[in-house]
Amino acid sequence: MPTESIGNELALLLGIAWLLPLAGFAVEIFGGFLWPRVSRTAAYIAVACIGIGFLCSFTALMKWGNATDWVVLKGTDSHHASAGEHGGEGHGDEGHGDEGHAEEAAHAEHAEGEESESGVHHDAVATTFSGTMYSLGTFGGLEVTLDWYIDSLTLLMFTMVTLIATCIHVFAIGYMSDELTEDHVDHEVHTADGGHFHRPGRFYKFFSYMSLFCFSMLGLVLAGNIFQVFVFWELVGICSYLLIGFYVERKSASTAANKAFIVNRVGDWGFIIGLMILWTYCGTFRFVGEESTDGHAAKPGLFEMVRGNDGQIDVNEEEDVVYLRDAHGHRLEDPETHEPKTIPYALLIVAGLGVFGGCIGKSAQFPLQTWLPDAMEGPTPVSALVHSATMVAAGVYLAGRFYPVFTPEVLLTIAYIGCITLFLAATIAVVATDIKRVLAYSTISQLGYMMLGIGLGGWAAGLFHLVTHAFFKSLMFLASGSVIVGCHHEQEMPRMGGLRRKMPITAYTMLIGVIAIAGLAIPGTVIAFSGYHSKDAIVATALAHTNLNPGHFLLFIVPLVTAGITAFYMFRLWFYTFAGEPRDQELYDHVHESPWVMTGPLLVLSVFAAGCAIGGEQGFLYSMLSHSEPAGVATGVEAAAVSLPGHDLIHDVHHEAGVMALFAAVSGAIIAYLLYGAHVLNPADIQRHFTGLYTFLVEKWRFDDLYDAMFVRPSRVVAGWCAATDRVVFDGILHGACRAAINISKWDRLFDEGIVDGLVNLVGNVVFGIGRSLRVVQTGRLRQYIMFIAVGVLTLFVLLFAFFPKY
Amino acid sequence: MSLSPTFLLTAIIFTPALGALFLAFFNKKAVEPMRMTALVFTVVTFMLTLFLLNDFSAAEPGIQPVQEDGTRGVSHVWIESWNINYQLGYDGISVPLVLLTSFICMLAMLASWSIEKQVKGYLILYLLLETGMLGVFLALDFFLFYVFWEVMLLPMYFLIGIWGGPRKEYAAIKFFLYTLAGSILMLIAMLMFYFGSSNLPGGSSFDILALTQIGQGNVAGITFDRTVQITAFILLFIGFAIKVPTFPFHTWLPDAHVEAPTPISMILAGVLLKMGGYGILRIAFPICPVGAQYAAYALVVIGAVSIIYGAFAALAQTDFKRLVAYSSVSHMGYVLLGIAVWKIGEDSAAVGRDYWLMGMNGAMFQMLAHGVSSAGMFFMVGVIYDRVHHRDLNQFGGLAGLMPVYTGLAAGIFFAGLGLPGLCGFIGEVFVILSAWNYSPVLAIIAASGVILTAGYILWTIQRVYLGPEYKGPHAEAIVPMNYREMTVGAILLVFAIILGIYPESMFGIMRESMAYLVQSLDQGYQNYAAAVQSTSEAISGILK
Repeated sequence: MPTESIGNELALLLGIAWLLPLAGFAVEIFGGFLWPRVSRTAAYIAVACIGIGFLCSFTALMKWGNATDWVVLKGTDSHHASAGEHGGEGHGDEGHGDEGHAEEAAHAEHAEGEESESGVHHDAVATTFSGTMYSLGTFGGLEVTLDWYIDSLTLLMFTMVTLIATCIHVFAIGYMSDELTEDHVDHEVHTADGGHFHRPGRFYKFFSYMSLFCFSMLGLVLAGNIFQVFVFWELVGICSYLLIGFYVERKSASTAANKAFIVNRVGDWGFIIGLMILWTYCGTFRFVGEESTDGHAAKPGLFEMVRGNDGQIDVNEEEDVVYLRDAHGHRLEDPETHEPKTIPYALLIVAGLGVFGGCIGKSAQFPLQTWLPDAMEGPTPVSALVHSATMVAAGVYLAGRFYPVFTPEVLLTIAYIGCITLFLAATIAVVATDIKRVLAYSTISQLGYMMLGIGLGGWAAGLFHLVTHAFFKSLMFLASGSVIVGCHHEQEMPRMGGLRRKMPITAYTMLIGVIAIAGLAIPGTVIAFSGYHSKDAIVATALAHTNLNPGHFLLFIVPLVTAGITAFYMFRLWFYTFAGEPRDQELYDHVHESPWVMTGPLLVLSVFAAGCAIGGEQGFLYSMLSHSEPAGVATGVEAAAVSLPGHDLIHDVHHEAGVMALFAAVSGAIIAYLLYGAHVLNPADIQRHFTGLYTFLVEKWRFDDLYDAMFVRPSRVVAGWCAATDRVVFDGILHGACRAAINISKWDRLFDEGIVDGLVNLVGNVVFGIGRSLRVVQTGRLRQYIMFIAVGVLTLFVLLFAFFPKY
Repeated sequence: MSLSPTFLLTAIIFTPALGALFLAFFNKKAVEPMRMTALVFTVVTFMLTLFLLNDFSAAEPGIQPVQEDGTRGVSHVWIESWNINYQLGYDGISVPLVLLTSFICMLAMLASWSIEKQVKGYLILYLLLETGMLGVFLALDFFLFYVFWEVMLLPMYFLIGIWGGPRKEYAAIKFFLYTLAGSILMLIAMLMFYFGSSNLPGGSSFDILALTQIGQGNVAGITFDRTVQITAFILLFIGFAIKVPTFPFHTWLPDAHVEAPTPISMILAGVLLKMGGYGILRIAFPICPVGAQYAAYALVVIGAVSIIYGAFAALAQTDFKRLVAYSSVSHMGYVLLGIAVWKIGEDSAAVGRDYWLMGMNGAMFQMLAHGVSSAGMFFMVGVIYDRVHHRDLNQFGGLAGLMPVYTGLAAGIFFAGLGLPGLCGFIGEVFVILSAWNYSPVLAIIAASGVILTAGYILWTIQRVYLGPEYKGPHAEAIVPMNYREMTVGAILLVFAIILGIYPESMFGIMRESMAYLVQSLDQGYQNYAAAVQSTSEAISGILK
């Protein structure tokens, strides 16, 4: 198998998919000069770039599959031999019929993945590929590079991102069409004279930012080292900033953009701390080692260093350090001192938490969730692409990608953060009335599910949900965008109602999304939308985890209850918007279904939202994902503190968990129907009974106030102090010194003028006075002078004789 | 084409001075020809520095050119009785800075069209200033270095004091006094070295290379002992720290920047501040490795404090230019931090030397990146100031709609200052930060928190100046789009910010060997010193036995 050539081919394809949007950006950003404001050229270029990117990604996926003979989808037989050697511990004898088969296949392939990484068994099929693009800097033995890393997760992410992005780009051609004018009126902005704000349209700019975003996002996925992830992490952040603040004239938009970026930077601070620790102790950022030509991993990567070849962390219990290992599982030594290279266990935890801190910021997890709802200020396609399907999911992606470096303590933290987030956001979504904000909170909540899944050891379950969520949530956001356009930029659900009659395509595609996210299905049949499968997988993991660790039962109860809440608020949204009678007749009269350029993408996405997870855990998507699962996840971990369930345990409870989750979802949906569909109960009554709670939820648990009081205002105060210190203290000292110098000079002058000059003047005056008095003798008469001389000489002689010593 | 090194180096330094002389013969009313002439001279100087880059060999770690007899640099007797030489040379540390200087001077000259008062005097002083700066970066004789250092000072004083804003006298005198105080400390250290090197074969010397050898314990029979090194290092450090500037010697900077005309602010931030960092790298550290190691912790603390303090102070400003000035304090903190992360172990050898090397490289890169980004930021402030004649951040807004190209370029430059990947600010900052954990985790964490504050003040500034529906200040009628000259300056700076950001190897490649050599020799120098102390104490205990 010419693995190197296939690796390079994949890299080339994905590289094209990655760089095309950048090229698009470079052209589109000059759209103001190139095309008239009414031109759609920028959109066509952007769609072409990302569309070709999708084709490249899909081709790469196919090529990867063909090159690996679709081992992912086949049974265990083909490669059982190698699996027996390596990955066999955990699943030797548990065969669970067909399902077990697929899992085993995943294990087997996983073992191979390791081998190809370590470069030992060249006869096995390589499924992961990595390489270096170029070096950013070399410092002695340290090198910072840009790398690429391709496995099935990368390929799936590429395909998913480019597919969704293409749909959203097409949708945006319609959504943003009101920018196609020389004189765009922004009704949300008022000028000083009370009129609406007028400006030229910025159609091209929107698409250039979108292209830049696609480039950054794909770069993040393609990254082969954690530093590079950070680079693109920041870039997607700035794209998010630009897109949230797209309506730059709106104060609310620019403030939301600032908030998004700055809150993310708080998370990035943690990310940098994690990077510093790993860089200092491991000396590399690469995920996996470089393979040198002779087949030995010349320099191991982070994953191998922490997890060796068996997925275990090599801890020295006495000294609380972790031995760093190479891809063969041998401990690394310092080349000079021959002491083993280690990293303190505590620092490994801090590093993991730090990197996860970045994920918290990016994925809007508790306690940094506050920026995402505000980010809805951006145009709706942005919310669909950046703030639901891709960028915010990057945090989950990174948590999954970096899983091998996380210690069990970090994983437990991830699980709890996810658990808190998913509940907190869901409760707020229940009371939100802005259609986009409901979706925003729902996104936060679903991201919490993904984090929970990953933290509990359900690696593939979490990422499974990432992909399915990307489809159904982008679908729902686009549908809401269609509603917003249809209602002429009205976003408040209480003013809608009954829209399904006027915009059927939007309404029913949205319903597909709602069913998918709620996780409704008819058990025992194939009628189950994507969300059912993926949420099921997470809940099953949670149940298995709780069975192992009864102390952490909340990690199961909370997501289960929240599954019900999710169904409730999503159906609430749908009934509120599309069902019943119109609540605002004037608005309703002007509602219209969106043009095909917007409904088309809705239809495409609804197909994927419904069917992308078809087959559940035996289906294509899950099998592909679990193929990239890190070593050791499948077998689970048994430990005194927190055990992680293996695949077999999860499988045992899968059915049970599925029933419970479905029960919760159905209950939620029924309650929503009773309240908002059938109007059996009046929601306003319930609101009145719980006014305190309601207000608390409407105020988003008061996080914004809290952070304002805790961080924003104090930092301004400190800033004021710093500026004042400069003015008062440093400049004060300087001015004091100057004043002192001036005063000294003044005294000096007084001294000079009064005393020194006084003395001099005195002498001068005396001399002058004497001179003046002597003037009287200066008569000019010769006789008088001779007389003075004679008298003088005489006096001298007298004195001489009087005083001269006599001998 | 090959020029003799002496000629080339001399030409680089004195071409601007020649231009100044030439300008003296112009009629003072011929404003436009004089500007063009001055521009031509800065462009020629820039071309000459490109010749220098061509002659420069990146693989050679030490000072170049290497003469046939093995001596380094070019040297001609200047004042024989004091053993002062006209000694010049370059290596991977000075070449990028020389390029930066001539580059920024060229662009700042393009930005000088906005100066309309006494143009002749302005241009002459401007060119003399450039000569001083280039001389500092190329001089290898401490006395010559000192002379150029002072030569640079006077034109700057007049450029701020005559062409400055309302409080120009105050700012100019503050700048002058601060810098002069630094110069005097440097002078004392210089004389300490001069008289301390009297045992050299040729007698006392100002030769920086020779002094470096002594300081690093490579010359038999002469050393600068611990006390001398520490004292001299502290004197030199304060002298250079004023220039950098670092907390708490920074308060001249905001005033000088606020009052200075735009092109002078560009030079001040883009080049002048780097002379402090260069002095530390070329003189303070190499000659006094023991002193440097002694003070390393304090230096790292000062660096970290500068980063945070400057960022906080920037957050509180309402004057656009003052804010950018404080951002310089913050960004230059990274330079000091990166240089000083020299951790030693029990055996006096550097621990994790590669991390220190990374810090050094990062610091050097940060100087170049800041040279581009801060010059750009000051230029951007200048563009809007030329139109509306105020800098109150609360009285801007809406410029994105009124001056779209300007806003685009400015946003790019400000993002470079924010440390966005793909732009120059990121590489320097993040490499320095990454190298710092090895030295001190706590300080590294503190320094890293600067990323949040930086994002805060830059984004808040962008929001207040460029975003929003309407311009809120006076002279709204004067707001017109950028002209081509302004666009050229802004675009060139942005392009370089991008090039440095995505291909930092372009600069690392030049400085790598020299930096490695510097770090290696400092490490060795400190070990020499420690070994000498060890053998002395052994000898003493031997005698006592």
